[in-house]
Formats: sequence, C-alpha cells, structure tokens
Amino acid sequence: MDSIGEACNELKKDYDACFNTWFSEHFLKGHTNDSMCAPLFKVYQECVKRAMKDQQIDFHEVEKNLLGTEQERKPPQKNS
Amino acid sequence: MKIWTSEHTFNHPWETVATAAWRKYPNPHNPAVIGTDVVERQVVDGVLHTHRLVSSIWYFPKWAQAIIGSAKVCYAREHSEVDPFARRMILRTINLTFCRHIAVHETLNYLPHPSDSSKTLLKQEAVVTVKGVPLNTYMEDLLTNKISNNAGKGRQAMEWVIKKLNDEVKDLTRSTDEILNQTKKSIDDIASSAKKSMDDISQKAKKSFDDIQNLRPGNFSEF
Repeated sequence: MDSIGEACNELKKDYDACFNTWFSEHFLKGHTNDSMCAPLFKVYQECVKRAMKDQQIDFHEVEKNLLGTEQERKPPQKNS
Repeated sequence: MKIWTSEHTFNHPWETVATAAWRKYPNPHNPAVIGTDVVERQVVDGVLHTHRLVSSIWYFPKWAQAIIGSAKVCYAREHSEVDPFARRMILRTINLTFCRHIAVHETLNYLPHPSDSSKTLLKQEAVVTVKGVPLNTYMEDLLTNKISNNAGKGRQAMEWVIKKLNDEVKDLTRSTDEILNQTKKSIDDIASSAKKSMDDISQKAKKSFDDIQNLRPGNFSEF
C-alpha cells in the first residue's frame, strides 16, 4: 500500500515488511519489545510527517470536535 | 444520527485475522483506499497502539458535490489497539475530511468466537451524523447504506488477504522443499561424479599396471 507522500513509498515498504514479520513472529507470541523495527519506523515516520505538512493534512483536527460546538458551521440563514 | 451494527464470523483463528487486518490494503474489493500511513505507534503495557492515516478516493454524485464540495481524496484517522494476551483487536475510524458536516465513527472489533475459539468474530458498528446541511436525514441514510454495502466488501477483502497469506506460506514451504530437493540432487550428482572419477582413476591405474605388466622383457628384444 502506498504512502500519501510519494517520496515515502520505499521507506514505508521496508518498514511494513519489518512490522509484518515482527507482528506475527514476535508480538503475537507475546514478545512485545518493539525495538526490532524502530530505526526503519523513525525514518519512515519523519517522511510521512513532512508529507502531511506539505499536503496540509491536520491529523488532530478531528479532536477539535466541532459538531455541537460554537465552531460548528451553521445552516445558511434564510433571506427574509 | 444513525447507528448501524453487524456481526460476522471468520473461519480462521484470531491470530490469522489480526495479521490479515494489517495487510488488508491494497485489495481488489476496496479500490477506493489508496494509501495507509502509520503516524504514531507504540506498545503500552503489552498492547499495541497505532494511529494510521487512511486515504481514499470518494466519488460523489454531482448534486452532493454542490453541498459537500468535490474533494476527491478523503482522509480518515484510525486508532487501533491489539492485545495479544486477551486476543483482542479493535479499530476505531473517524473521517478527517468533511468534519464540519459529516462525522462517521466506525468501530471494528475482532475477538475469538465465544462458542469456538478457533474462529474469529467481527463486531462492527458505525455511527453516522450529518449536520448543518439540507436533507441531513436523507444523507445519513445514504451514508449508512454505503457503509453497509462496503462492510460486505471489507469481509471479502479480508478473506482475500487471508488466502493470499496462506498461499505465501505454501509457496515458502514449496520453495524450501525445492531447495532441499535440489541440494539432495546436487549432493547425489557430486557423489556420482566422485564415484565416476574414482572408477576412472582405478580403471586407469589398473590399465597402467596392466601395461607395465605387459612390458615383458621379450618386447625389448625387438629394439
């Protein structure tokens, strides 16, 4: 599966391969130490965060919980 | 607000289903999902927590574009927890795009089937809220139908991934067998050529020996 940042695709592929092995061979068997893929994760994550910034994707926007608050967009006012 | 729920049983152990869940995309049943990115991930008290950004392409009818806008790539945030000891995987997704008008909270819960722990039960729930746009109840119905429809595709996708994983294991076993066979064959080849050379050597040695024996003194008298 691709990344949102084209430049991150290779880094993601390497990390995903490592994670899939770690998940089934270590984590599911109860070995929860996740240092095995940490170096690959670090470089991939830096790349993704840059790509998200470039594409102005705000990952935490959803936490603002606009629905039902003052910031929620109101229905258009009817012209009298 | 509309709530939709559903249950499904996979005839596979929880470990297989959890592994497949991470490798669900890409698959031919959900071509709309074009990207998944891990934004945060860590193990806390033996539980794996992951935040992913899921990118998908949405195709809206013309009339809806006028209300929502024609954004084509939509983003969703997925938070998941995997507990290998309790054998639980739970994924919660919320859309990041159209947050002002539409909120779709989706929850997928994978757990061992209560009556047969070699199977996996998927409990699925979606809560759809549309606010601040005309025809919001109608929109909620539309979205809920779409989710219900996509849920079927999601299960097909999971079965597809599980089959792919099983095939990979088979391929791996097959190639290991092939390597073993080839190694055996090579050793046989080496052994047989070694034997052949030894035979050659002993035959040649015997021949030379015979030749020496044949060098009877009488032969020299001819010179």
